[in-house]
Amino acid sequence: MIKYLIFFLLVLTNYKYALCRNIGETEITTEDGIEVFQEEKYYLLKKNVEIISDEFELKGNLVKIYFEQDLYDIKELIASTNVNFYSNEYNIKGKGDTLKFNIQNEIINISGDKSELFLEETKMYSDGYINVNNLAGSFKIEGLNSKLISDNVFIIGSKINGVFDDKNGNRDISSLEVEDENLLSIITEDTELFSKKAFYDKEKSIIELFDNVKIKRGSEVITGDYGILDTNKNSYKVSSNNSNKVKAIISNTK
Amino acid sequence: MSFNKKLFLIFSLTFIIIIFFIFLFIFFQYTDYSQEQIDINEKTSDISKPKFSINGKKQKISVTANEGNFLTEDEIILEKNVIFKSNKFKIYTDNVIFNKKTLVASSQNKSKFISNNTSIDSAGFDIIENGNIIYFKGKTKLILK
Repeated sequence: MIKYLIFFLLVLTNYKYALCRNIGETEITTEDGIEVFQEEKYYLLKKNVEIISDEFELKGNLVKIYFEQDLYDIKELIASTNVNFYSNEYNIKGKGDTLKFNIQNEIINISGDKSELFLEETKMYSDGYINVNNLAGSFKIEGLNSKLISDNVFIIGSKINGVFDDKNGNRDISSLEVEDENLLSIITEDTELFSKKAFYDKEKSIIELFDNVKIKRGSEVITGDYGILDTNKNSYKVSSNNSNKVKAIISNTK
Repeated sequence: MSFNKKLFLIFSLTFIIIIFFIFLFIFFQYTDYSQEQIDINEKTSDISKPKFSINGKKQKISVTANEGNFLTEDEIILEKNVIFKSNKFKIYTDNVIFNKKTLVASSQNKSKFISNNTSIDSAGFDIIENGNIIYFKGKTKLILK
């Protein structure tokens, strides 16, 4: 009797899994229907949309999907209003007002206030947009409150462009180009760097700074027109267009 | 020990009953019973096995049903085993109102759309613009293979 009861309980508690989608299938549910535009080749998914596939999960309030020939043949996905997505396969998750995902070219674009995109250990934030091109191995962050956090380095700038290389399935940032008219900042464990433009080269282990350069380390502040930081040696040099312009302030903090 | 057995049985039965009610709740949640049913007083249908087609720009949708009744001069209600079939898809339902003047087909009944590697379950649909736009209404589930 107890054996039957246990069996019955097992069936009851697992029936939901039996009704779930099969492996390889994509399940899309909506609360307010789907509009299929056959000539224009797209369909609109309305209200509390949930997309679950083997590769990713996405939630949004309105999703537009462009297809090639048939509905399953997805070319591009545009989700808007409280978009949240997660991909275990690509180790990526994000949220924002609008998400554009070009499936063929593997390009993800998140835009709107408080956009977020986490790519493995790299965290990207912006009130403008975040764009990741997976095939080209590049990314762009642009707009107000744009920032990037990676390997204990905190970068703030209105424009952050980067390239990452794929080593053993892990994406590492190999180069960065940061710009900000109102001064960008790069904050490492012990140094704060400020300027209007900066380049980072991982291979050469250098960060170059241009215009209104300011480097702060402990009680030391050095300003100039050009700065270069060796990330391996943790040393830096500041120079100026005008030889008299470099200024160093060493304050006694004791 | 026997007390424990009794207790276990009571607990298991209560649990089963709770699960059963949850199952019923989920089942009824996904079954839309608020669908409008249009009553036809006449028991015999105006058209037996109606068959016609909607000609779009790029496709022709043929429509078949077991019964058809005129609601107005332009509106026909198609009932029982209504099938919309084109070279790309099939839609199955049981109750559709078709306007022969505007060529708009509308159903408030559970519908199933089947196409290449695709299926859609919805609480009804509208076919407008000669079949170019299909609007699957209410809670909808789309499966892409």
